[in-house]
Parts: sequence; C-alpha cells; structure tokens
Amino acid sequence: MAIDFEALDNLGATWRLTDHLDAAAVITFHRGDF
Amino acid sequence: MAVLALRHSEFLSRGARLFGLSADAVSQNNAVVEKLALPFPLLSDPERDRAITPLGFADEDDPRRISRPGTVVVSPAAEVVFTVTGRDYADRPNEDELLAVIDDLGLAPTTQSPPIVGPVEAGPNAVPASGLPFYFRGAKFAVMALRGRHRELGEGFRDDTKEYVQMVERYLDALPGVEQRRA
Repeated sequence: MAIDFEALDNLGATWRLTDHLDAAAVITFHRGDF
Repeated sequence: MAVLALRHSEFLSRGARLFGLSADAVSQNNAVVEKLALPFPLLSDPERDRAITPLGFADEDDPRRISRPGTVVVSPAAEVVFTVTGRDYADRPNEDELLAVIDDLGLAPTTQSPPIVGPVEAGPNAVPASGLPFYFRGAKFAVMALRGRHRELGEGFRDDTKEYVQMVERYLDALPGVEQRRA
C-alpha cells in the first residue's frame, strides 16, 4: 500500500514524503539526540 | 542521530536519504541539527496529526505526546518496505540492518542537500554538545552498575543492559564525526 504524509521542515514549511521519493527514504522517529 | 550521520554516505550510495522525525518543535529540531552537525533534516510534527499518528507511532501512554521510537524505510514507489518500533528511545535498529533492507531495493546512488536551518531554540532538557561525552559515559556506567547490582534478574536483563551499553558505545564512537563535520 502506497503511503504519504507531511511534516514541517527545518524552516517550518510543509514537507511531503511524495516530493522526496526519487530515492528511498529512511525515516527515524527520534527523541532529541537519540 | 550521530551514528546515522556518520554513515550517511553509505545510505546515499545505496539510493536512500535520511530523515529524522519527532514531535519536537521546529526550533528544537534545529538545535539538534546544529549541535550534531547533521547532514539530513529533522522533520517536526508537534501536533502528531501529520505523520506520527498516520504512521502508527503515536504513544498514547506518554503525557508529553511524543512519538514512539522507530524507523520506517519507504521505497521510491511509496511502499513501506521495513518498519520497526522500539521499546524505548534507546532501542534502535542496527544501521547494518537498515542498509541491508535498502540493498535489496537495488537503487541507484542519490544525493541529499544539507538542511537549511531556521530559528534555533534548544529544548529544556537538551544536553549541550560539550556535555555529550559525559552524558553518554554516565549512561553507560550507570547501566553497567545496575547490571552488576541486579544479577538475580537473569539473562534477559543482562542481555538488555549489554545491548544498551553497545548502543551508547556506538554513540560515543560517533561523536568525533560531529566535530569533523563541524570543522
């Protein structure tokens, strides 16, 4: 099943997963330094 | 995050880009990007409604409304090809495991622009860069002390503490890379 989601980038602008899938994406749910 | 940053080029050479994601504010994520000189962005979902909940990472038991730790690998066809959820913030997949998943996709190498960072404001519990070696060493030796103190808890506890110590040692090993990227 294809997915998509959005979040805020480092400038506070909307970032969409499907705008960055000319490659694979490894998304790590982090907490601070970890 | 410092370990992933250290191995960033290995992900790129296999056709994968790295992204962090948390419920922290944009300015707090910016502070982490600067502190660790991360070559990839940290995305923010402060209300948990854009990514954390849709992807099933919302921790409903946590009053701070932060996400459960974990990692998702998404193929260029927008298919989730790997997902893992950690028991706690220190329970992370090994980077080699992630690289093997990406190897199986057989992708061409890619590139990733460094993040453009906006306003910075460190979180209230953030450890400054100069304190990270002490922080990690303190965590390591506290866990080792507890392992020695509670031998009666058996192999499961021993294995968990061993895994934790190995993770902290990987973080300590990655800290010189922060200084090199900053230079």
